[in-house]
Amino acid sequence: MAAVTAAQPRSSKTESYVDNKRKEDIRHANINAARAVADAVRTSLGPKGMDKMISTANGEVIITNDGATILNKMEVLQPAAKMLVELSKSQDAAAGDGTTTVVVIAGALLKQCLSLLSNGIHPTVISDSLHKASNKAVDVLTAMAVPLELSDRESLIKSASTSLNSKVVSQYSTLLAPLAVDSVLSVVDPEKPDLVDLRDIKIVKKLGGTVDDTELVKGLVFDKKASHAAGGPTRIENAKIAVIQFQISPPKTDIEQSIVVSDYTQMDRILKEERNYILGMIKKIKATGCNVLLIQKSILRDAVTDLSLHYLAKAKIMVIKDVERDDIEFITKTLNCLPIANIEHFRAEKLGHADLVEEVSLGDGKIVKVTGIKDMGRTTTVLVRGSNQLVIDEAERSLHDALCVVRCLVNKRFLIAGGGAPEIELSRQLGAWSKVLHGMEGYCVRSFAEALEVIPYTLAENAGLNPIAIVTELRNRHAQGEINAGINVRKGQITNILEENVVQPLLVSTSAITLATECVRMILKIDDIVNVR
Amino acid sequence: MAVDRILKDDASEEKGERARMASFVGAIAITDLIKTTLGPKGMDKILQSTGRGHEVTVTNDGATILKSLHIDNPAAKVLIDISKVQDDEVGDGTTSVVVLAGELLREAEKLVAAKIHPMTIISGFRMAAECARNALLQRVVDNKENAEKFKSDLMKIAMTTLSSKILSQDKEHFAQLAVDAVMRLKGSTNLEAIQIIKKPGGSLKDSFLDEGFILDKKIGVGQPKRIENAKILVANTAMDTDKVKIYGARVRVDSMAKVAQIEAAEKEKMKEKVQKIIGHGINCFVNRQLIYNFPEELFADAGVLAIEHADFDGIERLALVTGGEIASTFDNPESACTIVLRGASHHVLDEAERSLHDALCVLSQTVNDTRVLLGGGWPEMVMAKEVDELARKTPGKKSHAIEAFSRALIAIPTIIADNAGLDSADLVAKLRAEHHKEGCNAGIDVITGSVGDMAELGISEAFKVKQAVLLSATEAAEMILRVDEIITCAPRRREDRM
Repeated sequence: MAAVTAAQPRSSKTESYVDNKRKEDIRHANINAARAVADAVRTSLGPKGMDKMISTANGEVIITNDGATILNKMEVLQPAAKMLVELSKSQDAAAGDGTTTVVVIAGALLKQCLSLLSNGIHPTVISDSLHKASNKAVDVLTAMAVPLELSDRESLIKSASTSLNSKVVSQYSTLLAPLAVDSVLSVVDPEKPDLVDLRDIKIVKKLGGTVDDTELVKGLVFDKKASHAAGGPTRIENAKIAVIQFQISPPKTDIEQSIVVSDYTQMDRILKEERNYILGMIKKIKATGCNVLLIQKSILRDAVTDLSLHYLAKAKIMVIKDVERDDIEFITKTLNCLPIANIEHFRAEKLGHADLVEEVSLGDGKIVKVTGIKDMGRTTTVLVRGSNQLVIDEAERSLHDALCVVRCLVNKRFLIAGGGAPEIELSRQLGAWSKVLHGMEGYCVRSFAEALEVIPYTLAENAGLNPIAIVTELRNRHAQGEINAGINVRKGQITNILEENVVQPLLVSTSAITLATECVRMILKIDDIVNVR
Repeated sequence: MAVDRILKDDASEEKGERARMASFVGAIAITDLIKTTLGPKGMDKILQSTGRGHEVTVTNDGATILKSLHIDNPAAKVLIDISKVQDDEVGDGTTSVVVLAGELLREAEKLVAAKIHPMTIISGFRMAAECARNALLQRVVDNKENAEKFKSDLMKIAMTTLSSKILSQDKEHFAQLAVDAVMRLKGSTNLEAIQIIKKPGGSLKDSFLDEGFILDKKIGVGQPKRIENAKILVANTAMDTDKVKIYGARVRVDSMAKVAQIEAAEKEKMKEKVQKIIGHGINCFVNRQLIYNFPEELFADAGVLAIEHADFDGIERLALVTGGEIASTFDNPESACTIVLRGASHHVLDEAERSLHDALCVLSQTVNDTRVLLGGGWPEMVMAKEVDELARKTPGKKSHAIEAFSRALIAIPTIIADNAGLDSADLVAKLRAEHHKEGCNAGIDVITGSVGDMAELGISEAFKVKQAVLLSATEAAEMILRVDEIITCAPRRREDRM
């Protein structure tokens, strides 16, 4: 009996929404502003999406296809629009890829909400239904997903190349995808197989060459040249490397000091003392067998002087100076050594060992490579090359996305088809589900399902295909049970997208749906903008 | 004008009817602004800062909205103050208190228009408030003795509080978090021991409670990343170099070797300092200031975990939970815990933190005062019924005021229903009919949009919150009613200082 009375008022007319005019206006203004943002990035979705050129206030130019970067650089002021920017940032943090997708989905959901609102449905009812629909969507996606083993390198490469295909560097995806997979796999700790810290992968950018020359270095790369002002060595085999945090220069105390020189002979003596002091330090260093020095940048005084460089060159010690303090942890982890902060603590056991340290000319500059490190930590360096700064930056962003994709797969070992297949399948299943729901809920879920079609629609549109023809055919194929049918942008038709090797991690899709829904619900619940201090 | 000016230039004065009118208008405007956020289906507001950066906050929390408003109306300021006090005292009900006070004033306005003296209204309100409080006291449930039941009460209260917030979808999860956190406090209301860390990414469901203490910091290079049975020293000391702080102090030497000696002496001093620290038998050192490379290495050599640049809050809290300034063992951390919030964006996280804070406040208050009421407009209806009875028994003009009080109380369930898009007139009338039966538990069930049994639905509120709402709203309304003159002082001019 109770169930009957509870179910009855749900469909009664009392649930209509009455609100005053002003509040309606604010909600509409918010939704429209947010949609404008979504429309701005819509054309960059998919493998044939276009890039945006952003010129920043200080005259810098960025060309990118990465949704998060575009939105980040756009200076939006409207609060609701800002929320969409934030949304894309959190997708970047959660999954690293799909930053455009998430915004486009949010935009489409908002568009549907607008029509629901104008039908007089209360925003909280819409919001609750969206939440339910998104939970259901995650279930559907999980059911669609294909489990994956980390040993299956092929599949990992496939999903990395799907992510890369939409970028400027897509023609290099055959090179970059395996590179991304290898670098992530090499930092996975067998003891904690679910955790990947992307900070263990260092990306070094160097102008010159083409993206083709990008390589994975098992070791360290410094974007610096060895200091050989005094003719020090530039290539050392069987290197013993020390990371030092002290300075090889005349002493300087923290208390202000001055040396009183009263006559000429005394000056001579001081010069000699300085030489002896430095020589003494270098002897101590040499005594441990060290032949490569990495010197941390110092703000207090010169890390090395010409004099000390000279002596170091004589002692056949290679010097790389101005290493940033932030990099020390990465370096020591890679070299499996300890930083040395005082000359007194300079002991052989704190050194790292490598087969080869050499300075290599690259383009217009030089880099130092450390390879063949003994007991190397779980870190990797990727050297990115490119013909101009814009390409390099974009290549780095694309590589970052690809790394994130692989990381997602390590975290959650499931793959899902790409090419709009999951979205259209979701749309179909949710559409069917909405028919068994009662009242407003069913109506809202149906709108949610329709909103998801925006992804295949936009994919087709950006690829210059007829979106309506494609989406309807896609729907058809899915209705016939081909759940992996998707848009093959290269061929311009519908194919089984799994066979075409277009795959992406499950985590990217699920987090795009949940985050977009969360954001839309938040926008819906706002009924006023108040100016405050 | 023949009359000399009493007040300074620019100062203004409003009297009698006009003054009262100004107060009513101000207070009611504030109420109307905030009332759409009331209840589980209340809406949110965007607060857009006009200051630098145009920061945006999205919130449903009455106190947060009110305290950020630009207000020039004195009566409105009074309402904002009571909402602040409510926030400090009990943490929740910040919207309710303002709405109730506003509704009381709305009723009072009508009475004043009907030529009833404000003092009569005030005394009527007082009687009504007292009567309402007694009505609540009679109906409270106290499950102090029964630990099992009490815990479920806490859960219910937390869920009710959270259901009006952004966390409503995951309210069970967060209610559990909040209850666990508060139970660890063992009756203390010091919420400082509960730390909330916000990390963007993931979704709200991924938030978790950690039994212990989390510092959002990295550990120095080459030091152990994990320590069991840690002995912690919390310090605020310079670990770069000890400097002579006298201005112009300098050392004169006559050779390079002596400079080197001084440098070595400085190093030695630092080493001593580190030795002293390690000498306390610690294996974890948390410093508020920078730890420079040299001491960092020394700590690493000694196998001590050192954390630099810990934030002030973190240090204070750490000192609190570990018990004391200097090194205490970490074996009594039961009162400490950290809640890590995850969410889509900073807006979500900030709002989640505010919501969770409300829930934690209410729970910690409830642990001390274990009396519990039902929610969903039930207490208001109970009070309204008793107050109505009282009005009937009271002779004289006061009875009008008492009646008005009961109408103001009923306004709260009405607003809750309105916000949910329900037919409030119909629902409240039904509710009133239900409440005329003895021992009824009926309230508004916003989810199904009908009148439901609050005890069955598990919607509860803390008695302390309701009592604070009732008393402070009445007091504020009283205060505003008493006003018959507003004097606005002249703003101080910059030239005056010259």
